[in-house]
Amino acid sequence: MGSGSDPGLRLDQVITKPARGCRRRAFLPAVIARMSDATIIILLSMITTGLMLGMIFSLVAVGVTIIYGSIWMPNAANGQFFLLAALLLWSASVSWGLHPALAALIIIGLSVPFSYALEILLIRRFYDVPNRNISYFVLSLGITQILAGIFSITYGIWSDQFQLPPLVGGLTMLGPFPMVNNRLAAMLIAALLLVALFTLLRYHRYGRALRAVFQNREAAALRGVDVRAVYRMSFMLGNAVVFAGGVLFACAYSFDFSIAWTMAITAFAIMIIGGPGSVLGALVIGMVFGLTQAAVSIFASPTIAAFSYLGAMLVILLFRPSGLFAR
Amino acid sequence: MNVLTSRWLPHTIFALAAFATPLVFSGNRYFAFIVGITLLSVLWATGMNLLYGYTGLMPLMFAGIAGISAYVTIGLSAAGWSFWLAMLVGSIAASLVGIVLGLPSLRLRGFYFTLCSLVIQSVITLAFVYFVNLTNGDVGISHIPLPELPGGGQLTGTSYELVLAALTVIGVVVLTLLVESGFGHRLIAIREDDGLAETLGINVTRQRLAAFFIASLFASIGGALYAPYVGFVSPRSFDVLVSLNIWLMVAFGGRGTIWGPVVGAVILAPLPFLLQDYYMIKDVVYGLLIIGVIVLLPAGIVGGWKRKAAAGEPAPDVAQKTAPAR
Repeated sequence: MGSGSDPGLRLDQVITKPARGCRRRAFLPAVIARMSDATIIILLSMITTGLMLGMIFSLVAVGVTIIYGSIWMPNAANGQFFLLAALLLWSASVSWGLHPALAALIIIGLSVPFSYALEILLIRRFYDVPNRNISYFVLSLGITQILAGIFSITYGIWSDQFQLPPLVGGLTMLGPFPMVNNRLAAMLIAALLLVALFTLLRYHRYGRALRAVFQNREAAALRGVDVRAVYRMSFMLGNAVVFAGGVLFACAYSFDFSIAWTMAITAFAIMIIGGPGSVLGALVIGMVFGLTQAAVSIFASPTIAAFSYLGAMLVILLFRPSGLFAR
Repeated sequence: MNVLTSRWLPHTIFALAAFATPLVFSGNRYFAFIVGITLLSVLWATGMNLLYGYTGLMPLMFAGIAGISAYVTIGLSAAGWSFWLAMLVGSIAASLVGIVLGLPSLRLRGFYFTLCSLVIQSVITLAFVYFVNLTNGDVGISHIPLPELPGGGQLTGTSYELVLAALTVIGVVVLTLLVESGFGHRLIAIREDDGLAETLGINVTRQRLAAFFIASLFASIGGALYAPYVGFVSPRSFDVLVSLNIWLMVAFGGRGTIWGPVVGAVILAPLPFLLQDYYMIKDVVYGLLIIGVIVLLPAGIVGGWKRKAAAGEPAPDVAQKTAPAR
């Protein structure tokens, strides 16, 4: 959002180079006639990129939807939090020489006191205000501005493209096709995190309390749920999930400031389409968005993908504001 | 007559100030330019006040509509039209485009409307970047010709600021008249409780549509005049941050009061110029201001002051009227 980022919604740096280079060749006829090794590599890279992006989208969208579903805060700053985690990881591993895995754990851990401080300072004041979502929305836009400003006067001076050393080195041969171990690891971790989150929200006591508050705050309070504690927990959990998404993204891809705004818009679109407060919706639509992004970026420009998200979000807002997966 | 004088007294003072300030600063083009931008901001903030302050909608596509009007006016002027005709056509066209884009979203309420308008603003900005042959893309259009005058010559320098002052004064007077009319009362009813307003027989969507059209006119007239005044436009001149800054002026000054947004614009619009030496921290300052307004001044400067004044005297309805509707 700030001066350093680009409203043009570019995700093209995300798409791997070979896939873009091969776009010029006749892609569809080759599929129809006989799949050559090259096309299979393109397809594989499209699918893995799609899965990876999808999982990161899902993670961030789940984080956003947990916060919106419970405390009604549409956190527009999620993109900046995502970027904050990625930049901190870059600092920790490139400047201070920590191992990325250790640094990632520390940064996700640090998100907890960070969220707690924010909650005490700003978020808590609005818990009982009616129609607080607009206040929260503007508040998060303010946080976005501050973080964007801070990034552009700190990291912006040092570099405009950030790349981390790989989490794990080497390649794995998937049959005859090479896969980068680093991305496979990031994918595996993202999948595990998603499963863990889903299980937590579905089966754990806290998850049940959170869903009760989603559905009816007063009734949940009457049944003995400490609503404020649930609010605080979900703010911290949601942000931790967004941080985890940022850390994983930084491990897998190089990034620049524009990712913050792109991620904020994408996460909002996923949340609205999936249904605010619906974790399943965020998961499913996040994966759909990731695969679409990877596919569309091969055949057309990423701007088209951005247009299509916004269009889809608009349609859902107008005709089914409660989303596709609303209960 | 006496009542009338006292009622329009603030407007008279404002008009005098609006016309006098450009004359006072006419010796220094830099300060005069700041005055001109401030006057434009007052016009924009007044338009947004009709929506955010009186109708309870927070439109983030405000700058986008101003941008459409600016580009249409530039295009038509370049095609040989008179600037004033181009401005008229451009403003009405932009407001109609705004209505077409906003029509579906006007059924939504509160945050969903805001989100929808944010999406629309993003689409408009993307379109400005995308249609390079109309807007010259990210490079922007520079050397925009100044409006011509009927007697020959060009509108330039202090006379431009005086035209801006005139339009701003007209804008504030129009808002006052609107707010005091039945239409304004219906809008306030919608802001307070749109469900209740509906049951009282107010066609909520139609009233919102009318308010939206009028506010878009404020935005687009400002946009059309902005382009030749600054001499340069790019998609950045009309992005979501601009919408947000105009919103901030309204909220900072006090939504739902005539003079709040005026005060807000007069304080905040010159700020970027004064902070020019500290441009690095400009974003941070704006962010802190936004948060400060939301947390500490939910009713804005004028709103808070009015409430305090109302608390001193037994006039409960005044207190109710100025209370923030959230």
